[in-house]
Amino acid sequence: MKLTDQFRFVRQNMKKNKTRLFMTVLATAMGCSFLIVLASVGFGLQKSIVDKVVGDRMVTAIDIYGIESSNEVDRQIGPKNMEYLRSIDHVKAVTYRNYVQQPLIASVEGTEIASNGAINVDFDAETKAGFGLSSGRLPQKGNEVVVGYNIRQSGDNNNPGTEPPAAKDWLGQTMNVEIHQFADDGTEMKKTIPVTIVGIAQKLSREWKTDTKVYIGNEMLSEIENFTGTLWGAIRILPDKANPEGYEPPGLQEPRQYNEVQVIADGANRVKAIAEEIRLQGYISHSIADELEQVNLVFLIMKIGLGFVGTIAVLIASIGIFNTMTMAVTERAQDIGIMKAIGAHPSAIRRIFLLESSMIGLLGAIIGTVVAYLISIVVNFGLPLIIEGFMDEKVPADFRFSWIPPYLALIACLISLGVALLSGSRPAKRATRIDVLRALRRDL
Amino acid sequence: MIEMIQVNHQFAIGKKGKERVVPVLHNIDLHVKQGEIVAIIGRSGSGKSTLLNLMSGYIRPTSGTIRLAGQVVTGLSEGDWANFRLAHLGFMFQSFQLIPSMTAFENAELPLVLKGVSADKRKKRTMELLEQVGIADYAGHYPGELSGGQQQRVSVARSLMLNPPIVLADEPTGSLDSDNERQLLALIQHLNQDRGTTFVLITHDDQVASIANRTISLKDGHLLNAYGKGGTTTYETH
Repeated sequence: MKLTDQFRFVRQNMKKNKTRLFMTVLATAMGCSFLIVLASVGFGLQKSIVDKVVGDRMVTAIDIYGIESSNEVDRQIGPKNMEYLRSIDHVKAVTYRNYVQQPLIASVEGTEIASNGAINVDFDAETKAGFGLSSGRLPQKGNEVVVGYNIRQSGDNNNPGTEPPAAKDWLGQTMNVEIHQFADDGTEMKKTIPVTIVGIAQKLSREWKTDTKVYIGNEMLSEIENFTGTLWGAIRILPDKANPEGYEPPGLQEPRQYNEVQVIADGANRVKAIAEEIRLQGYISHSIADELEQVNLVFLIMKIGLGFVGTIAVLIASIGIFNTMTMAVTERAQDIGIMKAIGAHPSAIRRIFLLESSMIGLLGAIIGTVVAYLISIVVNFGLPLIIEGFMDEKVPADFRFSWIPPYLALIACLISLGVALLSGSRPAKRATRIDVLRALRRDL
Repeated sequence: MIEMIQVNHQFAIGKKGKERVVPVLHNIDLHVKQGEIVAIIGRSGSGKSTLLNLMSGYIRPTSGTIRLAGQVVTGLSEGDWANFRLAHLGFMFQSFQLIPSMTAFENAELPLVLKGVSADKRKKRTMELLEQVGIADYAGHYPGELSGGQQQRVSVARSLMLNPPIVLADEPTGSLDSDNERQLLALIQHLNQDRGTTFVLITHDDQVASIANRTISLKDGHLLNAYGKGGTTTYETH
């Protein structure tokens, strides 16, 4: 018997009792929809809390503190280590942050700014890693800089009552950065480098922390180092009575050491493998993914729990399918008997009924999935309004209570289909066992 | 074509644990040649239908062997029986046994559907046979909209759809008026002569028995005798 003919039989059979079919499909759709919506809450909360609140870079970053070694010098991260870290598969960027080792004296429009130092960063790597900007852009030229969000917060207006002027008003302004070094004879040399402010860093998440740093690129660092003749622009301390030895910082020929090194993976799922590889090479590292694993585990358990409750709804719907299919077999017992009498194979009869129950399951799953997506949209749109309206709480922008990844919809459809097939299997088996003689005598 | 050797059959009736065994057929030995029309007659309860049901595979004999078209069928599984029926047997029933939700055309083409024949070929063959039995104009009608005679013609078309070498008919004219009965018997004779189809007919009707090459009488489950067209032949006596 051809599959197209089996479908024709199924269609004919389904048309016979449309109300019953509708109610069964409705029950299945409700079960499937319930399953998806419940699980989508777990997915939505996880996405919002882990992905949004914690932030992308924090999830994909691995902090490198140094290398395990008994020698203090070998513990530092040098250029070769940076090369190695960049060469690891699925590493998007390797960033570092090194202070320019002298007090930063800078002014904008003649006003001295209260900065707590200049930091050298690799803007190429930061572009890939996702440097958090509140406004503006990252530098593209050597004389461009990014400033901290609180750069205009001076000691005078650093009280909770007053808001400092917005840093973004300084975008495009020229900042004069003054650098110093002592000559061998003890005279102080000065140089002023004019730079343009092109970006404002993101506000720090902790309210009490302020960012008044100036972020400079490698070209500007070279200019500073060429002037000071020392790595990271360090200032020499000449010997005097109090300090007869003085301090001679490492010269430009010395190897560099990088601080606050971060390895950025190209996806949160790569972090664990990269962290493992780095650790095996003797690096001391830490990533938020280590903690996120615990959080993700909690969400996984939550999703499984919600999915389980949802699956119960589908199982309840399966009772409806079982009932419908049993009724269908009873009603069509004579037809089945006639078909068997003239040569229908039991497997063909079983297939027809299994097809029918899977059609019910599939219809229910499709309708249920569409309804679940609609409910998800309504919940994501409506719930923040309700919370804001009645509870006086502000829901973060982009917060999603419900999120349905395509594979959740697919799994729910497969569960519905599987449950429908399972519910139909017993009635289908019963159909194959119908006694031909009793059916022909209409004795069923 | 049909061979029954020492076939016995008994039914178990009553509740489980208190069943009563009712013997229906006793030591049946029957041989039907290819191209024969055999009528089985006997009173109600004599075991005629049971004999036909055994040949159809709807029930299994308690003991004995049945061979149809050269194949021993007594040990066939249900699935194998289904395939065997489709390939070798045609059925005519007293109450036509048409599926009410299907049109005359759909009922008639059912064996072709079960065989997996393509829709185009099915349509051609079905219309050809419906025309042959004179019911083509009613192809789109449901059984409920047809008279008894018309329904039996659909049933006949269905039974001949796959050109079976054996047709088993249980009181085929039982629900027909005399005109329709005459036409059906003429058709059976025509098919028998034209294609060599073997017919086993169960009947109470002398007119049906009259077209048979042989008439076999059953009494209380015993095969009594066979009347050939050339006179009475003692077939078996108990």
